Amino acid sequence: MKRRNFLKQSALASTAMMIPAFLNDISFGQLMARRAGKVLVVVQFSGGNDGLNTIVPYQNDLYYQNRPNLAIPKTEVLKVSDELGFNPALQALQGLYDEGVMSIVNSVGYPNPDRSHFRSMDIWHTASESTEYLNSGWLGRYLDSNCAGCASPYQAIELDDTLSLALKGEKRRGFAMSDPAQLKRTTDNKILQAVGKTPSTAHHEENVAYLYKTLVDTQSSADYLFEKSKVYRSTVAYPQSEFAKDLKMISQLITADTDTRIYYASLTGFDTHANQRNRQERLLQQYAEAMKAFVQDLKQNNLLNDVLIMTFSEFGRRVKQNASAGTDHGTANNLFLMGGNLKKAGFFNGPADLKNLDDGDLKYQVDFRDIYTTVLNRWLDAPAPQILGQSFKGLELV
Amino acid sequence: MEKIKHLYWRAGFGLSPTEWQQKKDWPISKAIDELFAQARQAQVSLPVAEMGLPEDMEKRRENRELFEQMLREEKRRIFEYNVNWVNRMANPKESALLERMTFFWHGHFACKPDFGKLGIQYLNTLRKHALGNFRDMVLAIAQDPAMIRYLNNQQNRKEKPNENFARELMELFTLGRGNYTEKDIKEAARAFTGWSSDLRGDYIFRPMWHDYGSKTFFGKTGTFDGKDIINIILEKPQTAQFIVRKIYKHFVNDQVDETLVSALSKQFFQSGYDIGKLMQSIFSSDWFYAAQNRGNRIKSPIEFTAGLMRSVELKFEQPLGMLFIQRALGQILFNPPNVAGWPGGKTWIDNSTLMLRLNLPGYLFNSTEFSLRTKGEFEDEAREKGNRRLSNTINLQPLSAGIKGNSSNEIATELAKYLLLTPTALPIETYTKELPATDRETIIRQMTTRLMTLPEYQMC
Repeated sequence: MKRRNFLKQSALASTAMMIPAFLNDISFGQLMARRAGKVLVVVQFSGGNDGLNTIVPYQNDLYYQNRPNLAIPKTEVLKVSDELGFNPALQALQGLYDEGVMSIVNSVGYPNPDRSHFRSMDIWHTASESTEYLNSGWLGRYLDSNCAGCASPYQAIELDDTLSLALKGEKRRGFAMSDPAQLKRTTDNKILQAVGKTPSTAHHEENVAYLYKTLVDTQSSADYLFEKSKVYRSTVAYPQSEFAKDLKMISQLITADTDTRIYYASLTGFDTHANQRNRQERLLQQYAEAMKAFVQDLKQNNLLNDVLIMTFSEFGRRVKQNASAGTDHGTANNLFLMGGNLKKAGFFNGPADLKNLDDGDLKYQVDFRDIYTTVLNRWLDAPAPQILGQSFKGLELV
Repeated sequence: MEKIKHLYWRAGFGLSPTEWQQKKDWPISKAIDELFAQARQAQVSLPVAEMGLPEDMEKRRENRELFEQMLREEKRRIFEYNVNWVNRMANPKESALLERMTFFWHGHFACKPDFGKLGIQYLNTLRKHALGNFRDMVLAIAQDPAMIRYLNNQQNRKEKPNENFARELMELFTLGRGNYTEKDIKEAARAFTGWSSDLRGDYIFRPMWHDYGSKTFFGKTGTFDGKDIINIILEKPQTAQFIVRKIYKHFVNDQVDETLVSALSKQFFQSGYDIGKLMQSIFSSDWFYAAQNRGNRIKSPIEFTAGLMRSVELKFEQPLGMLFIQRALGQILFNPPNVAGWPGGKTWIDNSTLMLRLNLPGYLFNSTEFSLRTKGEFEDEAREKGNRRLSNTINLQPLSAGIKGNSSNEIATELAKYLLLTPTALPIETYTKELPATDRETIIRQMTTRLMTLPEYQMC
């Protein structure tokens, strides 16, 4: 309560001083807009993270047979269950696991898996069948469905300067921004500020009107997000990585009660065909340390129960290592959920079946769209079947 | 004048200032004749670079480092072809119509070649048939090694048919969804078994892999091969309708006039799928120049870039700058998002692509440093980030020479006539305010930047 009052006052004070002359009353109202509902943070591992070396089946001989010089030695594995343990680079996550704010779903995938990065990522982004091409993403369609009347264009923010397909709907789109100050600089152009004041009655053609609307929305969003990003300065020590900076920004925006329900961040470089261990572990460590700080930050502000973090990759990798101490593109993979509201902390299901393979690849046990269904229905209060184009049962995740 | 500008923006990538001065008062028929004549003349294949030797390939496959080095080299070649292509689009000496049609077909027969040789062969296939016969084009695409690899037809064998090519052939290339059954796909896939490519990147028919048995396709039964399947597909008027609708949406208006499309489809079908004839008929029609069909199309990133280059003789000192723009704006040549091509229209626009489009002319004209983080490739460990400056040169002489007037309002009015295809939302004086410059060259420079910063400049 105290925090909210404080935020309200400081936001008011700072906006009153900072409000640019060209902002009208509606924008001022918008500046005061605050979040209604829970927050979803999606983290994408780009390149296909090797799930078997992330969550290690350290009791399984097949794992060691298939990866003679790539498997994580038993002695190094951070054992968290009788069968599975973390890659040592994930040490920072062990605390989260022990506290029951992390849930791991194994063998997540989809039918007829595609081993191309682009295609498989598209399938995850659009939630399509692997034989089907969709031009809109699942979170974008969430915006179409639940946010058709929203005034704010920043209901879903991607921490980047280009927008992923996942956040592009049929009608509405998410908002891409790597840094509010820099976003604001792109709207500082004098001509654009003059153009932004063009009365909406001045456009005759639909596409032109659409460009003008996007411009005006971006300008007001830039002001709003810039203001919001200054409301709360995190006191938690984050690592120095780009990814950690993104999470810190997300945490600051959430804590400032920004009217945003979805955040999207990514970590790239998981395409480890050669000399995998060093590369993957460097990334996993970056991830784990940033997540630890992020979760701590949210907890400190009593927000962990309002936030669900989902981490996925476009596919896992083949069970057998290749000749270059790496792994090639595979299929099913593990997916992580973090937050204070998990139904089943720890391992949601059993380890991947290494015996019963499909041409050397893991068979999926959980369709990722079942996970989407639960996230949409239970976390985002959204009609999953309508957004996904078909009905999935969902899982007892949150 | 407005009509000429419209024609060149739809049949090409706009006019250079010199072309504008020369052609703005031409009768439309003269311009159309010239466009088609140039396209016929430009009809030569681009030189094809050879692939590495097959034995070499095998060796490289075993050695990951050599293999990755080869992939990087092939990627670099594809990028080189990409840059050359955009340069052709921007070059008034090349055939604008041929490049434009080839670009359209690249979006239709969307493909992502992974080797330089395959890329240039694929481009040659598209160029060769871009204004030719659609039947020949479909057959050539079905035998194009880049497409064969992209849609896994080299894995399409009698014992284990791969349906990927057959499915996309009907769904995306010819009939459109809903005009065939799953059974038709299965039977068509059998007919394309053995249509393969070899390690040298050439098309090869492998009789051992081909299914010579009887197939039943759209109610007809016979020992069909791929060519027969294509012929049967083209016997269906739906194919003509599907293609004409797509052409109409790309070249005329994304709001389809059903009566027009239906009439054009009949013509196209009766002509035996003559693409050149169809395009000629579209460009010669009065309705093509109707107000509701002009200036209503959001330029694609490639059209935007090539058009900008053409207007101000923009040249990138480092070709990577061009790749950066393509990536940041969401359209990389030889790299469509998937086999369905670029969806286009409003999907080009989100907050970040729009701001970059609007700010880019300023960045280019003033060599401004700016910061933009793009998504790297999957194998990259770090994303591109940090400040950058696109080193480039601009030559405003030709533009300046053709523009009349001295005051900023006069100059702005003349420039708008050339640069914009849709009226500005506000009177032109709005945009000339606070123009500190006094000398003519600077006024032209600043006004060109300002007009190119308007959302209206995104339209063609």
